[in-house]
Amino acid sequence: MPIRIKPGDDVKSALAAIRSTDAYFITNTARDLSQSDFKNRILAHTDILVAPEREAAGYFSLEITGGASVHVDMLRKQINPFERLALLRNLMPQTLFQTLCRGVNLFGYRPYPENVIRLTVQEFAKFVDVWRVFDFLNHVPNMIPVFEEVQRAGVFLEPSICFSTGPEHTDEYYVKKAGEIIDVTGQDILLALKNHSGLGTPARIGQLVSSLLNAYPELIIHYHGHNTDGNDVGRIVAAVTAGAKIVDAADHAMTGFFGPPPILTVLDVLQEMEYRAEAIDRDAIIATSDKLKKERPSYAVFESQFKGFDPTVHTHKLPGGAMGSSFEQAVKGGFLDRMPEILMKELPKVHQELGNFWSVTPGSQILWTTAVTHTLSGKRYVNASEDLKRLLLERYGPFPFYRPADEIYEAAFGPSWKTTLVNDCGIEDCPPMDIGAEKKTLEKELGRSADTNELVLYLQHPRDALDFFRFEEEYGKTFVLPPSIWLKDGGFDQGEVIDFTDNMGKLHQIIFSGTQDLNDGSSLNYLYVDHHLEAFLHHAEDSGQPAAVKKELSQSEIAALAEMGEVRASMGGVVVQVPVEVEQKVAEGDTLVVMEAMKMLNSLESAIAGVVSEVAVTKGQQVARGDLLVRVRPLRSKDNTDNP
Amino acid sequence: MKTYPEIKKVLVANRGEIAIRLCRAAQEEGLRAVAVYETPDAKNRHVHIADEAVWIGPGPRKDYLDIDRIIWAARKSGSQAVHPGYGFLAENPKLAAACEDAGLVFIGPSASTIQLLGDKTIARNLAEEAGLPTIPGSGILPPGEQGKQAAVEFGEKYGYPVMLKAVAGGGGRGIRRVDTREELSSQIGLAEAEALSAFNDGRLYLEKALIGPRHVEVQILGDTYGNIIHLGARNCSIQRRHQKLVEVAPSLLPKSIEDAVCAAALAYARHVGYINAGTVEFLVDADGKFYFLEINTRLQVEHTVTEVVTGIDIVRRMLRVAAGRELDVSQEAVFCRGFAIEMRINAEDPKNGFAPESGKTVAVYNSPGGPGIRLDGMVYQGYKIPTEYDSLLVKLTVYGFKWDEAVSRLKRALTNFRIVGPKTTIPFYRSLVSEAEFKSGSFDTGYLDRHPELFNYPDQEEQVAKIARLLSAIHHNQKNPFAL
Repeated sequence: MPIRIKPGDDVKSALAAIRSTDAYFITNTARDLSQSDFKNRILAHTDILVAPEREAAGYFSLEITGGASVHVDMLRKQINPFERLALLRNLMPQTLFQTLCRGVNLFGYRPYPENVIRLTVQEFAKFVDVWRVFDFLNHVPNMIPVFEEVQRAGVFLEPSICFSTGPEHTDEYYVKKAGEIIDVTGQDILLALKNHSGLGTPARIGQLVSSLLNAYPELIIHYHGHNTDGNDVGRIVAAVTAGAKIVDAADHAMTGFFGPPPILTVLDVLQEMEYRAEAIDRDAIIATSDKLKKERPSYAVFESQFKGFDPTVHTHKLPGGAMGSSFEQAVKGGFLDRMPEILMKELPKVHQELGNFWSVTPGSQILWTTAVTHTLSGKRYVNASEDLKRLLLERYGPFPFYRPADEIYEAAFGPSWKTTLVNDCGIEDCPPMDIGAEKKTLEKELGRSADTNELVLYLQHPRDALDFFRFEEEYGKTFVLPPSIWLKDGGFDQGEVIDFTDNMGKLHQIIFSGTQDLNDGSSLNYLYVDHHLEAFLHHAEDSGQPAAVKKELSQSEIAALAEMGEVRASMGGVVVQVPVEVEQKVAEGDTLVVMEAMKMLNSLESAIAGVVSEVAVTKGQQVARGDLLVRVRPLRSKDNTDNP
Repeated sequence: MKTYPEIKKVLVANRGEIAIRLCRAAQEEGLRAVAVYETPDAKNRHVHIADEAVWIGPGPRKDYLDIDRIIWAARKSGSQAVHPGYGFLAENPKLAAACEDAGLVFIGPSASTIQLLGDKTIARNLAEEAGLPTIPGSGILPPGEQGKQAAVEFGEKYGYPVMLKAVAGGGGRGIRRVDTREELSSQIGLAEAEALSAFNDGRLYLEKALIGPRHVEVQILGDTYGNIIHLGARNCSIQRRHQKLVEVAPSLLPKSIEDAVCAAALAYARHVGYINAGTVEFLVDADGKFYFLEINTRLQVEHTVTEVVTGIDIVRRMLRVAAGRELDVSQEAVFCRGFAIEMRINAEDPKNGFAPESGKTVAVYNSPGGPGIRLDGMVYQGYKIPTEYDSLLVKLTVYGFKWDEAVSRLKRALTNFRIVGPKTTIPFYRSLVSEAEFKSGSFDTGYLDRHPELFNYPDQEEQVAKIARLLSAIHHNQKNPFAL
C-alpha cells in the first residue's frame, strides 16, 4: 500500500510514516508557477478543471494558496479565497493543501497585529493542511505566532530556512538556524529548504541537506527551488540523494521559465536512479498537463516578455517570482536598456552592501527598487524609499550577518542619522487591533452581517476586500467563467455564444447580439440571456475602474507634470500618508505623498519649491496610474513677503 | 320585472390588471370592452387589450374616482354597461346610482344594496337577523367623552384585546388592535381623526379581538331570479397589517366547519336578497367558531382562486346576471376540486416595509408557464412602476389537486419568474413557500408576526443575470475591468 497522507491525518503518525519509507514525495506547486503576474492569474476555473487529475496524481501536497494569492484572488480574480479552497477541497478530498505564509506579514507585505495573525491562521487552517512559513531575514521570532496557531490547529507546520549563497551562507549558519527553529517548534515539523531564487549548484544543495540531516537525522526536509537557471532538476536530484523527503515541482504544461521544474522530469530522472516517488500516478501527471496545455494560451498576455532561462540569476539573485515583474517594470518605465547594468552590477552591489540577506518578499522588492533608483538617478541611497528606511532601522528584524555601512545611513537619513538610529531602531511594535470594532465597520460598509472569513479578508486587505464583496454582490459568482471569457480582450463578436454552468450547476447560454450607440455617448449592449433578449446600458464614462482605462499618461508625461508641480501616481496603489496640507509651503525634495504600490512604500517628493495648492487624495485612497495626487504652485514673491 | 337593455359594449371603469381581467371576460362574452385611462396610464396594457379606450383626464387617480367622467366615457363610447372592478368606485353607491339614472347597467349589486351593506353596523345587524354569529361589538360609539366611556365599558365587559374600527373603513384600512384600557383611551381620539381624514366619516365601533383567527370568506353569486349560490370559501389569513398577501381556495378548514361557514354566508345573502357577485367575510377562531365580519359588494382581487378550483368564471357571470340572464349554475353543480393559491407579485421591497419601487423600469420580464399556472398581469418588459398607482405587477394563481402539489407548483412558478429592474415580493414569497407552517396549511392571521425570519431571504437576482451584466461590462470596456 503506498503511503498517502490525507487531510485530517494525525501529524505525528503521518510524519512517522514519511520517515518510515525510503521513497520520496512530491509537492505540486501550482501557486508558484512564477513569472510573477502569470502565476497569480491562473483562475480557480483552471484549478477546478484539473482537480480530478491532480487528486489522482498522489502528491504529498498541492500548494494552492498563500503568498500574494489571497490578495490577488480578490483583486484580479474576484473570488473569495476561502470559497476557492472550499470548492477545491470538495473535488480533492484526499490531497493536502499547502500554503506559503510570510510569517508576521501573513499573505501581505507588512507585519499584522498578533491577534489578526492568530485569527487568520485559525480560519485558513480549516482548509490548509501544510503551512510553509518563512521570514526574509530568517528571523525566527517573526514566525512564532504562526507556528503556534498552526500547531494548535493540528495541521502540518513547515518552517522554512531561506537559502542563498555567499561567504556568510555556510552549513554551520543554516544548521544553527534549523536548531533555533526546532527549539521553538519541536521535532514534529517538516523543514523547508527554500531556494526561491534557485541558487547554488546541485553539489551545494546536496551538501547542505546532508549537513542538516547529520545534525538532525529525524528531520523531514522539503526542498523548494526555482528553475531560473534551468538546473533545478539537478538540485532536486542532489537533495533527494542526500536524503530530502519531499521536493517541489510543477505541471509541465505550465513550466518553462522561472518557476519550479516539471514534475515528470524529476520523476523520470529519479526513477532511473532507483528513487521511488511515493503514491505517485505518472499517467495522472500527464493527463493534468494535457488539459492545462489547452488553457495556457488564455493566459498568454500575462507571460513574461522574456522567454527562456536566466543563468545570470546566480549573480543578481532575484527570486523566480520577481523575474517577470522586473522586466515588466523595465518595459513600462522605459529603462529596459539599463537592465544588464541593474541586474549584473548595481543589484549585486546593493545586495552586498545591505547585508546579503535573502532576496525574497519583501526584501527582494527593496533590493530591486533600490538598485533601479540608483541606476536611473545616478545617486546612491539618497532617495531611500520608505521600505528601505524601515529595513535600515531594522523594523523587519535584525540584519542576519552585518549592518550596512554608516555612509548608507547617512545618505538615507541625512546628517542626524546617528540620532535616528539610536532613538528609532528595532522591530516595529504592532499593537493589537480591535477586531470587534473592525467587524462593525465592515458590516456597516456592507449593510449586512459579515462572517468570520469575510472579516479575516477585510482585516488583511480592507479596501480590496470591500471592493470584492461589492463586486460579488453586483456580478455574482464569476469563478464559473473560463479564462477565455474572464480575460477576453477586445470585446465579444456579434453572435458569439458563451455557455457556462453557474455555481449551482445550472447551464446557461448568453449570446452577444449587438451594441447600439446612443447619442448621449452611452451605449446599449444587447445579450440573449437564456434565450431572452436583454439590454445593458453603459454610460460613456462607465467602466469598472474608470481611471485605469481613461487616463493613459506615460511615465515621461507623469515625470514632466511633476516638474511643473503636478504630482501624479506613477503606478496604481494606495495612498498611505499625505503629510502636507493646502497652503503649506514645501521645499524641493519634501515628501508630498507616501504611496504603497507593487508591495513597496514610495515617497513622492516635490520637484519644486512652492505652496501646496491642492491635495486631491486622502489617506487610504486607491489611485490609478496617472491620477492627480497633489498640486504645488511655484513660490511667488508674495509668498516670500508673507512669511519672511 | 325590470327590463334590461341589450349589452354590446361594457365600459371598464378601472385600470391595471383588473381592467384587463374585465376586458377578457367581456371579449369572451362577445362584447366590446371599453377602457378608460388617465394620462399617466396612456401606455398601460389595459388600454391596448380593450377594444376601445377613452381618455378621461390627466389624473392621477382623481379621474378614475370621478363618477361624472365615468358616465361621460360610457355615453361617449356608446357602452350599455359599466363594470367598476375593485377599488376606486367599486363600492361607491353613487356610481351605481348614477348608472341607474343614466340608463346604464351597473355590473354589481344595486346602489341601495351597496349603500346598506357598506355600513358596517347595518351589515352586522342584518347578519344577526339572519342568525349569523357576530363578534361581540359595541355598536357605533357616540362622539367625544361619551364614546370613550362606552368603549372602556365594552373593554371591561368582554376583556382585551379589542379591535377599534372605523365605520366607513374596509379593505384592511381603519382598523387597529388595542391591548389595554389605557391604550384604548389614548387611541380613540387618534382613530377618530384618522377615520375622518381617510373616509370623511369619523364614526368608530369596537369589536372583541379573536386570538389566532383565520380569515375565511365565501364567494356569493345571485341573479335577479332569486337564485343565490356560493362558490365555496377562501382562506386569506396571511396578511400584512390587515392587507391580504396570499389567498387560498378552499378554506383549509375541516369540512364540517367550511360547510357551516358557506351555509351561513348563503343564509346572509338570501336574507339581504343579494344580486351579482359578493363576498361574505368571517373570522374563524382556533376552536372552529366563526363570526361574521363584513360583506364586500364587489369582485375581489382573489376571485381567481375560486375560479380555478370551481372552474366557474365569476366575471362572465357578473356580466350575464347584470344583463338580466339567469345563473347557469345550480348549487348542486358547484364542486371544489383541489387547491388554488394566489400571490400578488408586487414591485415592492419586503425588507423595507414593502415600500413600492416606484419609478423603476422592468428591464426583463419572463413569466412561468406550464401546468396549473394562471397569470393575471399588467406587467411587460419596459413597464415602469408608476408613482401614481399601485405597484402590483401580476397575480400568480396556481392549482394543485392536493395541497402539497399546489405548494410545490407555487414554489416552482416563483422560481421561473425572471424580473430584472425593480425589487419584487417574489424572493419573500419564495422563503414563505418553503416555511413549514405555511406548507402544513395551518396558518392564521398572526402568521407573519410569528415568522420574521421570512424576511431574511437571499438576494433575489439570479447568477446568470449578474454574470450577463459582467459580460456586458467586459464587452463595453473591451477587457475585464475587474481583472486589470
